[in-house]
Amino acid sequence: MLGLFGTLSMANRSLQTQRNGTEVAGHNLANVNTPGYSRQRVAIETSITIPSDIGPQGTGADAVAIVQLRDKLLDKHIVSETSVRSAYEGRQRALEFAQAALGQAIDRQANGAEGSAAASGVGGQHGIAEDLSALFASFQSLSTNPTSSAERQVLVIKAQNLATQFNQVASRFDDLRGTLNESVSSDVDQANIALSDIAKLNDQIITAELGTDAKANDLRDVRQKRIEDLAKLVHIDTVENSNGGVDISIDGSQLVSGRNVLDTLEAYDAGGGQYLVRTLAGGTTLTLTGGTIQGTIDARDNDLVQIRSDIDNLATRLITSVNAVHANGYGLGGTTGEAFFTGTNASDIGFNQNLADDPSRIQASGVSGSVGDNTVVLQLAQLADAKQAGLGNQTFLENYGQTVSKLGQYLNGLNTQLGNQDIVEQMLLRQRDSVSGVSLDEEMTDLVKFQRAFEASARLITTVDEMLQTVVNLKR
Amino acid sequence: MRVTANTFPNALLDQLSSLSQRQNKLQNQAATGQLVTLPEDDPVAMRRVLDMQAENSAVGQYARNIERHQELAAATYDSIKSLKSISDKAGEIAIAAGDLSAPSLPIYAKQVTELIKQAVQIANTKNRGDYLFSGTNSNLPPYVLTTDVNGVVTGVTYQGNTTEAESEIASGITISAQVPGENNSGTGARGLLADDRVGADFLNHLIDLQNHLLSGDVTSIENNDRAALQRDEDNLLYHVGQNGAIQSRLESSLSLSNQRMDSLEKMVSKEADADLTQTIVRLNQTQTAYQAALKSAGRILGSSLLDYMQ
Repeated sequence: MLGLFGTLSMANRSLQTQRNGTEVAGHNLANVNTPGYSRQRVAIETSITIPSDIGPQGTGADAVAIVQLRDKLLDKHIVSETSVRSAYEGRQRALEFAQAALGQAIDRQANGAEGSAAASGVGGQHGIAEDLSALFASFQSLSTNPTSSAERQVLVIKAQNLATQFNQVASRFDDLRGTLNESVSSDVDQANIALSDIAKLNDQIITAELGTDAKANDLRDVRQKRIEDLAKLVHIDTVENSNGGVDISIDGSQLVSGRNVLDTLEAYDAGGGQYLVRTLAGGTTLTLTGGTIQGTIDARDNDLVQIRSDIDNLATRLITSVNAVHANGYGLGGTTGEAFFTGTNASDIGFNQNLADDPSRIQASGVSGSVGDNTVVLQLAQLADAKQAGLGNQTFLENYGQTVSKLGQYLNGLNTQLGNQDIVEQMLLRQRDSVSGVSLDEEMTDLVKFQRAFEASARLITTVDEMLQTVVNLKR
Repeated sequence: MRVTANTFPNALLDQLSSLSQRQNKLQNQAATGQLVTLPEDDPVAMRRVLDMQAENSAVGQYARNIERHQELAAATYDSIKSLKSISDKAGEIAIAAGDLSAPSLPIYAKQVTELIKQAVQIANTKNRGDYLFSGTNSNLPPYVLTTDVNGVVTGVTYQGNTTEAESEIASGITISAQVPGENNSGTGARGLLADDRVGADFLNHLIDLQNHLLSGDVTSIENNDRAALQRDEDNLLYHVGQNGAIQSRLESSLSLSNQRMDSLEKMVSKEADADLTQTIVRLNQTQTAYQAALKSAGRILGSSLLDYMQ
């Protein structure tokens, strides 16, 4: 038998238990909008029974633990899918930059049916395609009037525009490579901070849970959030140890072991401005399989290299083809053998300054002394339709169209993949929210439940107190 | 599935985000009238549009080339017409020579001299700074006239060549509206004033007529000059016909170019342009969905158990 004092003690424990329940509900309510927070529940168990004449008698209830509702399998999935999504996002961002760098768009309102500016100077298309077309149109125009200084001047401007356009696109792509390298470096710095934070949190969790079954729930939440932050940057493998610490490895290299950061990441120049990632102390080059760092590296080393090389190849073929024809011609003053374009690729292509200074030196004629001859400029104009062996048997414009389309396909495919990945991630997050998220209704109901139980326990104390009063008063 | 406090806001954010993206895309389509603006919108259509725009630009340039040829052909025709009238006058003098009195012959000779000078002046016509009938030596006047002290024409020298500058009026199709003043090479375009394939040599035949009038050699005029001038007349008529044929070909090529541009415009429109009716209907649908999402979320998010607890 508990006796009156035993019952009083039971009521007291009950008060504590119900208060614990209220506190946990309050904690949940306070963290309803905290990112990464998983709801907690107070685990209440019936206290030990004691034998009595009438059989085992209950002694109330105790709060034995505060349990965190978290699905570890879901967490692992989310970490993994986060890396996949971030890799797509990193690549998408790089390709969107590339699309802007190429500057090729369709503006049908600013351009009339003949591709001429219908609303000149307001918007319009100003990509390599338009400048290439304009150059060949100028060759055509000059072929109809080879001695015209006006046509020659127009040709000079169109050729200079094309060369400048190539230079700008090449320079934007070079700058983009630099920007992406900076992004890799900055992401690596962020990853190192996350690794250090995870090790510190491991330390706090191990210390808090040492010698007890209780879990450091809130610290675990924060750690999970940091693990997901890290997974956005780079694909990681995690292993949870029995002491509560989580080990982190990237591409087989262990970087965090419990409380210690064994190694950190370093972005290094593998040559030619190609920033890759390796472990700082071990010097092991890492092959990354997810995260923004990998997405950025992928776009930089595959997609952008391909596009940049296509543009360079186009410029190189244009320079050699045009120069080979032009060199055989004669200027109005009989000059010959001059190059039309200078340079060797998209970065350094330029229009021959001698011709720009004196457009009469443009070698349109194929016969020395025959200024009205247009055979060379006609051949130059006809290059527009010539299939170039070095460009996959395509014309210059077809080849450029293919490059634009290729970039579009990379980006379009990526947008679709990212859309699909969004759905996967949203489903997983919803599932996690369903398990770990705080429900205001539930917490309010719990509050009412625990409040009522608290009131009832208090009433028990009052009742026992009155009973004790009665017992004490028996003596009078 | 258990629904928590953040399920609604998170789902709402996802829905609003995707609806906003759709609205943005549809609004862009409605404002620009285009389905495709950037390569990522539709890479295949982008490629086709770029190819078609390149062709459109080339065809537009061919049309401008044709207009330039037409201008040249019209200028050439004007010159041929004037030369024809000189030829007519010379022919009349040659025919009348037999009936003329000996003292009047030098007067007609003087007239023929003027006709020769006029013909040379016409043959040396310039268009946009280039001599029309010098072939590709277009910086040189085709004919240089030499006269003696009395102003009698003693000879003409052709400084041009027999080459025509051809340029494209369609892909791979070249044409020239140019006519060389002389072509005694036996090949190539027929010379306007002289061509030994048909025995034409207008200026020299006029000089012969002038000389024969001066010397009173009516027999030569009747036996040789009349026939020679007739060959020149025929040659000029040939050029009138040739010029008409070229103008007609240019006209039909221009019409073809315009048709091609129209059809390319239609094809580009098919690839790149948005169906405005469809776009606006879709935009309306999306806007309705957006408003519905906001309104329903507003109701759900605004109420909880708290509203019913005291």
